[in-house]
Amino acid sequence: MSETLPGNIKKTPVDNSQWMNDPLWYKDAVIYELHVKAFFDSNDDGMGDFAGLIKKLDYLQNLGVNTLWLLPFYPSPMRDDGYDIADYHNIHPEYGSMADFKQFVKEAHRRGLKVITELVINHTSDQHPWFQAARRAPAGSSKRDFYVWSDTNQKFPETRIIFTDAEKSNWTWDEEAKAYYWHRFFYHQPDLNHNNPQVVKAVIKLMRFWLDQGVDGVRLDAIPYLCVREGTQNENLPETHAVIKQMRAVIDEHYKNRVFLAEANQWPEDVRDYFGEGDECHMAYHFPLMPRMYMAIAQEDRHPIVEIMRQTPDIPETCQWSIFLRNHDELTLEMVTDKERDYMYQMYANDPRARVNVGIRRRLAPLMDNEPDKIRLMNGLLLSMPGSPIIYYGDEIGMGDNFFLGDRNGVRTPMQWSPDRNAGFSHADPQRLYLPPIMDSVYGYEAVNVEAQLRERASLLNWMQRVLAVRKNHQAFGRGTLVFLHPGNRKILAYFRIYEDDIILCVSNLSRAAQPVELDLSDYKGYVPVELMGRAAFPPIGELPYFLTLPGYNFYWFRLTSGEHVPSWHEEHLAPDELPMLVLFDGWLSFFRDRVVPWRMAMAEKVRSRLEDEVLPHFVAAQRWYGVKGEAIKRVALGDHVEWGDKDSKWLISICRIETTAGTTQTCFLPLALAWENGSEERLRAMQPVTVAKVRQQARVGILADAFADETFCHALIQSIGAGEVLACEQGNIRFLPTAAFTELAGADAITFTVRAPGMQGSNTAVVLGEKLFLKGYRHLQVGINPELEMGRFLTEVAQFPNIVPVAGAVEYVANDGSAMTLALLQGYVENQGDFWNYTLGYLERFLEECYSTATPPGPPESAHGAYLVLIRTLGQRTGELHKALAATTGDAAFDPVPAVEADFISWNQRVRAEMESTLDSLTRYQNGLAESARTTANLLLERRDAIAQRIQACTQASTRAIKIRYHGDYHLGQVLLTQNDFVLIDFEGEPARPLAERNQKNSPLKDVAGMLRSFNYAAYAALAHVGAERPDSVATFEPYVRAWEAEAGRVFLEAYQQAVQDTGLYANQQSLHSLLDLFLLEKAFYELRYELDHRPDWVSIPLHGILELLDRPSYAPPNA
Amino acid sequence: MEQVSMVLEPVRAFLIQLGEFLPKLIIAVIILLIGWLLAKAIKLAVVKGLRSINFNVVTERAGIDNFLQQGGAKTDTIDILGILVYWLVILAALMIAFNSLGLALVTELIGRIAMFVPKVMVAVLVLVFGAYFSRFIDNAITTYGKNVGIEDAELLGRLARYAIMVFVVLIALEQVQVATELVRLSFLILLAGVVLALALAFGIGSQGRAAELLERWWPKHTKKTISDRE
Repeated sequence: MSETLPGNIKKTPVDNSQWMNDPLWYKDAVIYELHVKAFFDSNDDGMGDFAGLIKKLDYLQNLGVNTLWLLPFYPSPMRDDGYDIADYHNIHPEYGSMADFKQFVKEAHRRGLKVITELVINHTSDQHPWFQAARRAPAGSSKRDFYVWSDTNQKFPETRIIFTDAEKSNWTWDEEAKAYYWHRFFYHQPDLNHNNPQVVKAVIKLMRFWLDQGVDGVRLDAIPYLCVREGTQNENLPETHAVIKQMRAVIDEHYKNRVFLAEANQWPEDVRDYFGEGDECHMAYHFPLMPRMYMAIAQEDRHPIVEIMRQTPDIPETCQWSIFLRNHDELTLEMVTDKERDYMYQMYANDPRARVNVGIRRRLAPLMDNEPDKIRLMNGLLLSMPGSPIIYYGDEIGMGDNFFLGDRNGVRTPMQWSPDRNAGFSHADPQRLYLPPIMDSVYGYEAVNVEAQLRERASLLNWMQRVLAVRKNHQAFGRGTLVFLHPGNRKILAYFRIYEDDIILCVSNLSRAAQPVELDLSDYKGYVPVELMGRAAFPPIGELPYFLTLPGYNFYWFRLTSGEHVPSWHEEHLAPDELPMLVLFDGWLSFFRDRVVPWRMAMAEKVRSRLEDEVLPHFVAAQRWYGVKGEAIKRVALGDHVEWGDKDSKWLISICRIETTAGTTQTCFLPLALAWENGSEERLRAMQPVTVAKVRQQARVGILADAFADETFCHALIQSIGAGEVLACEQGNIRFLPTAAFTELAGADAITFTVRAPGMQGSNTAVVLGEKLFLKGYRHLQVGINPELEMGRFLTEVAQFPNIVPVAGAVEYVANDGSAMTLALLQGYVENQGDFWNYTLGYLERFLEECYSTATPPGPPESAHGAYLVLIRTLGQRTGELHKALAATTGDAAFDPVPAVEADFISWNQRVRAEMESTLDSLTRYQNGLAESARTTANLLLERRDAIAQRIQACTQASTRAIKIRYHGDYHLGQVLLTQNDFVLIDFEGEPARPLAERNQKNSPLKDVAGMLRSFNYAAYAALAHVGAERPDSVATFEPYVRAWEAEAGRVFLEAYQQAVQDTGLYANQQSLHSLLDLFLLEKAFYELRYELDHRPDWVSIPLHGILELLDRPSYAPPNA
Repeated sequence: MEQVSMVLEPVRAFLIQLGEFLPKLIIAVIILLIGWLLAKAIKLAVVKGLRSINFNVVTERAGIDNFLQQGGAKTDTIDILGILVYWLVILAALMIAFNSLGLALVTELIGRIAMFVPKVMVAVLVLVFGAYFSRFIDNAITTYGKNVGIEDAELLGRLARYAIMVFVVLIALEQVQVATELVRLSFLILLAGVVLALALAFGIGSQGRAAELLERWWPKHTKKTISDRE
């Protein structure tokens, strides 16, 4: 049930081997940058190591990253955090051994984590044997030529100095060599001479060494500075590109799926060259974007980001940007103008000690003042801008920094695992740690650590997990094209990421205050945006600019889906000027040929045919209550009708016949109202959304609309119901019938009740009056006694069952031939917390999320769901009470219970058999169109056809005695409203698809019980699917949890039910109860299966599994056995 | 025998006369019978025809039907017209019948009565359309008046309607030639009375206002223009 995303949406492969073998994997990569030294110490020497890192791989996998980038871990004097390498072919002894590294790569790959290591080839440490040899070798010798030497320190005067704080010159005098050597960074990091082919050869050999160890990519450090040439700035030289091409040729020839990640801190147009024509680096950092994200959020203006992305050149198809918020270096401000730099310093580094070189040495959280929304927004930007994002270790929990530690060590402190000693990073004595952990009150490891955040649902870490899981579901984030929107509100950054059929809309509010925005989404008219984090559907995109409101520092990601999931409460408001105009000449009479003056008869005919052939079909087809999609309506003919009302407001109550092009007809109830523009503004506005047409009569303009939106109409209906009026029509009459409960429910002041339409509208039209009355207008009319009215009346007046909605009255149409149809039903309004289905789904989702975030299995279901089960118990009891009330003998033949005879059992048996046969037949027909997993299940079921038949037979034989009563008929979680921890049972209409006569029949009430039990099953799997859409890997873990819930809920429900129906004789004994239940459960499940096959093939697995479970469950055995 | 024949002569003559008269009578009766059937048929056709062209809607809107029903009649205007047509045909049949019997005087009498019926029918039609027209004018004036914001728009409309109705009734009465002279005289008196009343009302009541209007339209003292000063 994880397949709720449409198949055409590309996800990052979940399957490990598919992901590991994808040649373009780096496009979907989410990179986690970490330092072995800082991550986890396994041998308590105060320094992290590979063995420790291996222990924490599960954590990284759970976080949702898929690529690890390790900072240098080679032997080094550690004067530049390992970037001064003394031996390229080895591991720093404090981090472990070569064997440890190999083990690490193996373990990482096993978890689907790719590994990127550092290839620092611009320079070595001055301790490196190459340099030691070079300084001793005579000038001009091949060994000396490994580095760049000069007799003067005035060579290359145009070249800038990068570490302005530490170095005064790029040349340093070497006493031993008696010459200056060239270095772009620290004086102890002499630059290798890549103009020398020998050096390039050595470097390639070195690269191959590491690729042979299994690393998936190498980061080319300080790549623009490889070669030097007189008279240039010594950056981005063609010679340098030649070297890279040479290296790339080697990996293309000898290796598969390996990548180069270029570190070139340059403007985008210069970095572009490092991609070549797809023959240099696969990836390169987008340096200028990073400071601009900070700038945008500081200035609360999208301009910096939009501007830099506009300046960003296109890159070859196979290449990818790599983007980041923070890394192990300072937040570099080289790629901004001087003015911007001043601004950045002011905003983010007020304390001059936070500045280093041309940048700011701080972590993300302190830069964002530890404001959670701001941190999340920045991460949201990072994960949705084009490129593979890099997350710096510790930023996923919002770690702080310590700029007193010198150089950039402040952002390289130990990872904070727990509030234990040394942040859980090491058991060594604190003074032995390579750097002290952060210990202040805000960011210190006691406040910020993995252990606490894993347990706290709202933590940054949990949020990161969720957002990364969402990102993984859409390759559009990594691979999609970027299209900016330009809404008027400049504090809003909005853009599309589009990849094939997947359209992602990202909207971010860069301001601290809530902001509205109107987005021009006219290209996607009719699409429904679905918010990715919460999976909530938003109203579809219409004619007007799409209006959104975003809280301060917040962002939304939407997937634009075409059509299917319009939120259920959404009402389509047609723009009024699109509506047709009807020209009337005589009010309502204009529609009736035989009621106008002779010279207007032709006109009346014309108006009538426009109404019936154009206006009404268009209107009816757009109504939610019509519901039938796909069949065009040919005509909506006015049938019997009557003009009703006083002088001021007149309505046309009409019974219409809807004729479709396919030839089917349907009778529906359509009261119409006219509202004029010079009349009540309020009335006009209320009716606008259900306008049928605009009308004009001479100089008056107004609208023709559905009368249920007219307050006065609703009032008039209630008044007439109260008075018990009869209204004569041409071919029958309309009767207003009050029940005994009318006065109590409506009181005397019903006429003053305010009218509102409740959010949800189904196949009927509902109106709430003064929060006291509920008027339900039936649209699709059927001849016969409406079970809802009949049952409601019985339960209100005779049985006085309190847990239903009391019926106050009804409106009936009785034709001259005596056939009656119910037009409207007036009930008491019950204040409620929504239906129990949604409540249950929400509950289960919360429960599963909790299981996920605490990562511990829940206790036994009876304790894990304690509070919820109290509700279920109540529900069982109420259900039992309902059946008890219905089973009472009152002398009303329509309701009195009758014993089930032999023939009944036979007919039940036959019905289930027939249901099974037809369902299995259609399953055979449809099964090729099903998803893989569902098809296998379907096959299993089809193979057991005989077993099912036997089971049905057994069920019937085991049931001995029962009584038949009237019952709910369509009982499930959606039919009970939760109100103050009790339930109100609603909707006694029965299954709408069945004819009225069948719905009014008596049957075993256990059918209701079976319906509810099946509903539990549905809820369990629907919740699982919902949660699974975000975390596909956890479905297998969760399934037993929800099944345990279902079993327990079913048990409790049944127990309470049995208690409530004791001594009513609804069933003979336990055995009979259970075999009848099994029978009806099977019937219901087959019905569901057929329904899903016809309507929602994605859902078939639920009833499929349900049936199989029923079959596997042993026939009933008495308890305590 | 002669005496017998003498006695029988008148009888014979009577019988001969009777023999001559009887066929005429039979023919007359047949004519009447046919006339009656025809009358029924034509009445039905007229009523149906008028209804099919929604004439009843016009009479209903004109308020005539309502007027009749208030007067206790169980019929509407179309029925009245039907009855009139019915009687017209019956009378025509009677005329022919009596004529065939050679009863010239009776024939003439009936002829006069028959000639009156169409006049009544025309009068009814005049009343119906007149009343409809008067309501139409009423509505038009009321709607217009309301739209331009005249307070007593309804009163004005009503006045216009009744004025028209007076004319219509007079025309109808004229048509049926009932008390023609009296009607004409009383109409003149009525009109003169109304005009006089209006003249008095305006003359006395709106003296100042009239003067003001006159002053505006034809000022007594023309203002001096700039060119005058030069």
